[in-house]
Amino acid sequence: MAETLLGTFRPSAADPWDRAKAAHLLGRAGFGGTPDDIARLAGMRFEDAVEELLEYERISDEPFPEVDFSEVRELAQALVDLRRGGAAEREVREASQQLRRANVQKFQEIRAGWVQRMLQTRRPLQEKMVLFWHGHLVSGFPDVTSAEHMAMQLALFRQMATGSFKELILAISQDPAMLSYLDNNSNRKGKPNENYARELMELFTLGVGNFGEQDVKEAARAFTGWTFAANEFVFRRNQHDDGMKMFLGRTGTFDGTDVIEIIFAQPAADRHLPRKLFEFFAYQGPEEPVIDELAAIFRRSDWSVRAVLRALFRSALFYSPRTVRAQVKSPVELVVGAVRALGVEVPPQALLRALDLMGQSLLYPPNVGGWPKGKGWINTATILVRYNFSKLLLDGTMPGAGGRRSMTGGAPGRVGTRARPIPLEQLIDAGRVWTAGDVITQLLDRFIQAPLEPRRRWALLRAFGTNREDAPVTIDSAQFPDQLRAAVHLIMSMPEYQLT
Amino acid sequence: MNQGMTRREFVKKGLTMVAVGLTAPSFITRTALAMNNPWDVTQLTSRPGVSDDRVLVVVQLGGGNDGLNTVIPYSQDAYYRARPTLAVPQTGVLRINDEVGLHPSLAKVMDLHEQGAMAVIQGVGYPNPSRSHFKSMEIWQTADPDGRVVRYGWIGRYFDSKCPVCEQPTVGVNVGPAMPLAMQASSGMGVSLEDPEAFQWMPALNGIGAKEEQELFRLLNAPAVRAGGDGVGTIDFLRHTAMNAYVSSAQVREAARGYRGGVEYPNSQFAASLRLIAQMIAGKLPTKVYYAHMTGFDTHASQHGAHENLLAQFAAGVAAFYKDLEAQGNAERVMVLAFSEFGRRVAENGSRGTDHGTAAPMFVFGKGLKGGLYGAQPSLADLVDGDLKHVIDFRSVYATVLDRWLGADPVEILGSSFDRVGFI
Repeated sequence: MAETLLGTFRPSAADPWDRAKAAHLLGRAGFGGTPDDIARLAGMRFEDAVEELLEYERISDEPFPEVDFSEVRELAQALVDLRRGGAAEREVREASQQLRRANVQKFQEIRAGWVQRMLQTRRPLQEKMVLFWHGHLVSGFPDVTSAEHMAMQLALFRQMATGSFKELILAISQDPAMLSYLDNNSNRKGKPNENYARELMELFTLGVGNFGEQDVKEAARAFTGWTFAANEFVFRRNQHDDGMKMFLGRTGTFDGTDVIEIIFAQPAADRHLPRKLFEFFAYQGPEEPVIDELAAIFRRSDWSVRAVLRALFRSALFYSPRTVRAQVKSPVELVVGAVRALGVEVPPQALLRALDLMGQSLLYPPNVGGWPKGKGWINTATILVRYNFSKLLLDGTMPGAGGRRSMTGGAPGRVGTRARPIPLEQLIDAGRVWTAGDVITQLLDRFIQAPLEPRRRWALLRAFGTNREDAPVTIDSAQFPDQLRAAVHLIMSMPEYQLT
Repeated sequence: MNQGMTRREFVKKGLTMVAVGLTAPSFITRTALAMNNPWDVTQLTSRPGVSDDRVLVVVQLGGGNDGLNTVIPYSQDAYYRARPTLAVPQTGVLRINDEVGLHPSLAKVMDLHEQGAMAVIQGVGYPNPSRSHFKSMEIWQTADPDGRVVRYGWIGRYFDSKCPVCEQPTVGVNVGPAMPLAMQASSGMGVSLEDPEAFQWMPALNGIGAKEEQELFRLLNAPAVRAGGDGVGTIDFLRHTAMNAYVSSAQVREAARGYRGGVEYPNSQFAASLRLIAQMIAGKLPTKVYYAHMTGFDTHASQHGAHENLLAQFAAGVAAFYKDLEAQGNAERVMVLAFSEFGRRVAENGSRGTDHGTAAPMFVFGKGLKGGLYGAQPSLADLVDGDLKHVIDFRSVYATVLDRWLGADPVEILGSSFDRVGFI
């Protein structure tokens, strides 16, 4: 049989499973780690390392604190009561503003809790997939007004992170946050609302060009009456259009479930999600034969996300130069990755503010298309924010952190954003450092895991007042901490650090 | 003369200079001065009768603005029949003529109309319209409805047509979170920023000294020296962007800091963007095109209220900006062009909102234009799938702006010839 593009990676003496590859896998399938985390993964058999990430249910995760929504529930109920009781308009308005403010506060708590999870989870792939789903099956503020609905959606993504995509699509079609984000909660018989039906096909399952305008109209009719009450999905029969529909070449009295069945019978559905997964985990613009192979795996496995990821993470292509260090880190990968690599504690509020400035405001996606990708993250403003971010870790502050406006439309962004500077002694293994070259080698191993052009490495030596690799350094000298700080800041201000 | 340094310049000279003179301070300023500024942006326009110092400000209304509730065909019963809950009552409409008028929330730009500083181009669209936000936005930004896979934006191609000035990163400045495809050129990508004070690289607080760190920063971010060609890899793209940021940072911050106009702007993110643009114009940044954004126009449900707020924000922002430009004495040389990726369905849906549609009006503002109505209101009786048929191709509007405002060749940039619209 001819070698396929997605052929399995087989470690050999010439091309071993090593620290660089382990760092790559941990960076892509998770959020990176400390040199020790990487060494542990590199010390395992290759197949076992992949399975440890994929079969994360085997690992008990620490219980993370849940956000308490009792207050917003009470405020929401109070508002309902006021309206029912025919209260004065001013009173209703005040109660509704109070509820809104409480929800914005809860959004912030959910964001902080989520970042905390990404920093601490022992199941990094699960959390990475929650991030993927948040960017693929998009919902967010301000269209979703209930913070509790957003928390429920994240929990759904976590629960179904690597399971059947078809089941997830049915679940998300009945998810209160999604129902309000794409207006299906007001999609009623007679005058349908096309928003969900269109994006379900265009963005979530098939891709543009694989359906017509008439299919949008007919699918919208099929989803009429799918709505929610409080926190539960509700099917309102009297609002549902049970007439005949012509959808993607088939005819019947379809409802939303039928529409999903028909969508998954389209060849385009086999390819759409695998392409998105590939672009998220590997690189932009994959070769079509690669997607052919992933599509076949996806269909054969009844749309198992895990099966696609397993093929990808085991493939030689995934560890080839085409993939390794060829992708721009998303802001979350950059920020969470840096904190994990340093093994330090930073208040999540500060990290959220940094993410906002870099253009990835969690729960506040730019639009239903989700986040930028690859080079799309980078412009003259964001690259400076990304470079200055290391100052947040080194000095506890960064420009723009108390900026003139929040990018998240008024969400609190200035609370407790000041981080404690990192303890520098944690950065290097003092017992193995004699020369400036040793320090640079250790720092690069922690931050970049790849060799650097000699002239750039030479610039880093300059931070220690020398241009010689073998110049001795004295760790307990007065100027060493400042030199180390400058070197770390410079490394994190390099294009190489922006890549994964 | 504060022109900064160009990308190519940096590639050619920057690295050598860093290597030779490790301690040389602020070499960038020195070379820029020594260069006698051959990249003057006035080279951008070379057309007789077209002034050299003109500026274009593109405003993107993201999400699909409801054109029918923006420029309202209030004389037609069909409008009121299609919009039982959303139609604007005749009495509220700000009448432009006997057939159409502006939404009452646009009162602030109605003043500009009365001064002859606003042109409304009705019924703008393109053949076989896409109702996908992303596809249609891409079409508007690349000016390529035929799907010829254009990699660069229409403004970017305008920059490309004007090299070597295109090398100056501040030739195009985006104020917003992400650089639009419209501004991407084969010669690179312009400047994007939101907060001028965050638009600088900061050395470590307790490091080895700001000067030395700046020097090393330049060395670590210097693009690789190469023969040319635009097939650069990701790492080169990052280096080029970093150097563009570096060479324009001080320039942009000084320009923004320098101007303290007395004009009051409303409290919205859009107005803040326009205010920053007004500051940069006053600060004499050598910028030909600025790009600003509003979002939230995707009004599928509960449109009433939300759409009013958006229109009011738009009008108030533009009106304050225009007033500021007048106070600066720059209203003659700045033109604002506002567009959205599509209009919305003629009939409202069951959620008191509107679904994705097609043709819609565009707005142009400025003292240097011929105000009034252009194009025509598409018929409400002759619809395709419930949507309006376009009357004017958006590329005609682009061609007019490129030719008569920016002094560029529209055929070279748009690939074929389009009629001009009479607003310039």
